[in-house]
Amino acid sequence: MTIVKSSKTHPLYEELVSIAGQERVSDNQVIIAAYAQDACHLEAERPGIIVMPNSVAEVQEIVKLCARTKTPIVPAGGRNGICGAVLPRVPNVVMLDMVNMDKVTKIDEDVMTVTVEAGLRWAELIHRLDEKGYKLGFRGPYGGNVGTVGGSVSINSIGYAASKYGPSTEGVVSLEVVLANGEVIRTGTGWNPDAQLFGRYSTFNDLTGIFLGDHGTLGVKTKVTLKIYPKAEFLTYGDFGFKTLKEATDFMLEAQRYGFTEELILLADRQSTETFFPGLLNKHKEVHAFISAIVQETDSQLANRKMEILREMSEKFGAKDIGNFAAQMHWSEMFNLVQPLYNNGFWLNTCHLRPINRIPEVMERLWAIFKKYKLLDNDIKWIASCLGADRAYATGWITIFVPTKDKMEMALKAWNEMLDEIFDTGACPYWSGLLWEERAVKKADKNFLDTYWKIKKALDPENIFAPEVFKGGN
Amino acid sequence: MTTNLKNLSKYEDEMWLCARCGDCSLADKTVASNRDVYLPCAIKNVLGFEAFAARGRIMIMNDLLNERIPLSNDIADWAYTCTTCKSCMETCTATADGVNLPDMMEALRKDLVANSFSIQKHEEIENSIINEFNPYKETQDFRLKVFGDREFPPKAEVVYFAGCTSSFREKEIAVTTVELLTKLGVNYTVLPDERCCGSVLLRLGREKAFGNLTSHNIESIKRTGAKTVITACAGCYRTWKVDVVKAGYEYDFRILHITEFLDELVTKGAASFELKDKLKVTYHDPCHLGRHSEVYEAPRRVIESIENVELVEMATNKRYAHCCGSGGGVKGTFGDLANEAAGNRIREAEESGAELLLTACPFCYRGLKDGANHIGSNIKVLDLPTFLLDAKIGKSMKKVKDEPLKLEFMEYLVDHPMIFDGLKKGAVIDYEIEGNRFHIEVIGKGEVIAKPQRAENPDVELTFSPAAVKTLVTFSSEDKYAEQFGKFFKEPTDSEWIRFNLRLNIVKLLMKGYRKFAQKAGLI
Repeated sequence: MTIVKSSKTHPLYEELVSIAGQERVSDNQVIIAAYAQDACHLEAERPGIIVMPNSVAEVQEIVKLCARTKTPIVPAGGRNGICGAVLPRVPNVVMLDMVNMDKVTKIDEDVMTVTVEAGLRWAELIHRLDEKGYKLGFRGPYGGNVGTVGGSVSINSIGYAASKYGPSTEGVVSLEVVLANGEVIRTGTGWNPDAQLFGRYSTFNDLTGIFLGDHGTLGVKTKVTLKIYPKAEFLTYGDFGFKTLKEATDFMLEAQRYGFTEELILLADRQSTETFFPGLLNKHKEVHAFISAIVQETDSQLANRKMEILREMSEKFGAKDIGNFAAQMHWSEMFNLVQPLYNNGFWLNTCHLRPINRIPEVMERLWAIFKKYKLLDNDIKWIASCLGADRAYATGWITIFVPTKDKMEMALKAWNEMLDEIFDTGACPYWSGLLWEERAVKKADKNFLDTYWKIKKALDPENIFAPEVFKGGN
Repeated sequence: MTTNLKNLSKYEDEMWLCARCGDCSLADKTVASNRDVYLPCAIKNVLGFEAFAARGRIMIMNDLLNERIPLSNDIADWAYTCTTCKSCMETCTATADGVNLPDMMEALRKDLVANSFSIQKHEEIENSIINEFNPYKETQDFRLKVFGDREFPPKAEVVYFAGCTSSFREKEIAVTTVELLTKLGVNYTVLPDERCCGSVLLRLGREKAFGNLTSHNIESIKRTGAKTVITACAGCYRTWKVDVVKAGYEYDFRILHITEFLDELVTKGAASFELKDKLKVTYHDPCHLGRHSEVYEAPRRVIESIENVELVEMATNKRYAHCCGSGGGVKGTFGDLANEAAGNRIREAEESGAELLLTACPFCYRGLKDGANHIGSNIKVLDLPTFLLDAKIGKSMKKVKDEPLKLEFMEYLVDHPMIFDGLKKGAVIDYEIEGNRFHIEVIGKGEVIAKPQRAENPDVELTFSPAAVKTLVTFSSEDKYAEQFGKFFKEPTDSEWIRFNLRLNIVKLLMKGYRKFAQKAGLI
């Protein structure tokens, strides 16, 4: 059904309608306006036309059409990323809104993998697996109600349970990708049509890795196969307060080395804790940095013992045991932690990765910026939080919240300085997008980028997939 | 500021708080706090594109305010596809109440009308209301014809406000409602000169006749001397309960939806219903009754009180129930769209395993019936009063006795209001002990009341083991109670435990004053 009629001015309108049907194609500016931004403030070109494919076959036909006509194409997932990765850099793009492709195609219990269509949302996948007695490793980005599996693995997304399982891409076993010629490739053990999708590394080199984090530049992901694990029902929680950020990060590093926690999250200062959990530290005046730990196991003794060890470990770093309320809330509010923070204003993010030991260094510099711009005097709150990832690194989620539009100009100045300091202290952004790309490309080793472009040219000779991405344009 | 969008521009600051997380559009069984959100926008679920969910709508409205896109007929069509059902707002956690898309859409509709982007059908509806006091171009003098020869007294304790849709279209609802009231021995009347409540005008952005309608109806009700007005129309109910009050009108009678009125009778033991054969039913929450007026439990209590009836819930229900697609003028403007949305709701009802789908609103009833026809479903759809009329109706029944422990706990909590110190007026906590429920409402500083039913829309649901309650009620000090409460949560044993289900996000709860409670309990 179509209520707002297409303008039918996009050159591919009729042909796209012949592939996907009138109801799932629109080039009306009213419809397109709803695809003009993701969940950050950045803007780029607007798509020229939106298509909502329902199947791999439709994606193949659309890609073939775009290749034949040299029309740029950008795939989009839940579009709640916070780096502008999904926004087209060139005009007249065909944007694929992938959210109709949301099926769980196979839970292969024999080899402990699940295969899903790329437009499936993480929250839905968690529920589907839970019903069958399984859990994922990486559980989804913090916006996992809406964030799609395909979107996350295309931009190295990170979030829940990354402390134990690493970022979204670590759990990927295989991908199904529509290439620029419209053909389909299956990676991992998928190279063998008769094999189950049980492993990522086999026989040849790792082609899965080529497409992970590609920001949609090398193909359209249509299916993702992920590792699954037995459901773990036993959870233990701990909240720890530290006098200094240095003590907190020392503990964080030690705890991450052991890999006991499903989730280990640091709030770097009192202001961040107050913004996240108002009143949490009222009774703990001496606490200046705060860590919540969540252990999840299939056995209660195991879960309890690991938390005991963490508690003992924390004491060595002068931690104060402050219960477990924040940790419980952190976990039980899965995928809904950040949204209430919007009440503080629109957010400007600086998401990146860094070694845990370099958290205090960057925070010193950022606190100086906060002070310089008198953020609190201007009602601009911040949250500096770091999620332990994999073994010894962490995310840096240092976000400022701009309460009203008129404060945006000043906030953007502070934010840009923050980005510079973050890069200057050993950061590697996990995603690029409009948020980081200019700085990242400037910093990148030439041989690294040249190699990427050779691959890009080989796989996408007509440069139809997300053109201009990774070129450093602003 | 764009001068021709004076109503919409009032929402510019609120739009700023939407960070486009997309929960309003695509949230899938939200993991947090077991909130059963599932692809919340019934219209987006039919039309597909993001433009039809709240996130996209706010982006488009920002474009309008920034003059990036102009007002146009496309905008008018798009604006009237929203049922203003409030599902997005319930899902949204960006502000304490959620970003208020329904009000924004209605503001934009006012601006569209003011800027002459008019939809012919809407003009006809408005003219019909101005001339005949109903939106259906029916002669006002025939309004009471629906009741045949039945005569109504000039004075009564209760007024039944039938509403235009029951009077002129879904007449069965008006007829069965008065029959039901008669059978129950209610001292009621019907207004001789009832006029449209004005709901449809407000929803379409055409409010100029609203004041006259309201003034007339208030005066007419006053003449009956009634202290209670009941309606079986969720749209009329929301208008009386919310919109009339918001517009500054005052009245001294109670407004009850028929389900609330019946609930009072059932709870008092003044009415009982029995079905001959066992039947599994499900219930569709009308948006105007549920999300807009927060009445979720009363209809369910009535249904559950019917002998031989089993109530099963659909996948989305109560505050997260999908809209039937008929509201906000969508049914009248885009009938096929409404049918598609209703068809999706019918599928949910079928998946629940119910043999019968009940609702409590003539709009939803019509919409769902059309939806069932549209998808070829055999599920039967009925409005609650119509369904009850087929049951064996008793005038009295022995009141179910509450469990002593529940009563003891209720009494204890009311006697120790400082347990709730710091909570803002209107805070509601639901309690459950082995399936027995009650709730506490904060009505002022140091004042709480306990009500023996499940809360309509609680902030928090607490579940206690009986042993935990037995221990808690022994404390004379509220601080000791809180301390032990915290221990039962943090260090539960097999026999003594407390679980809680936050119905609001943690930050929202802290804003509502739960911080002090949590601190006393040693939780923070």
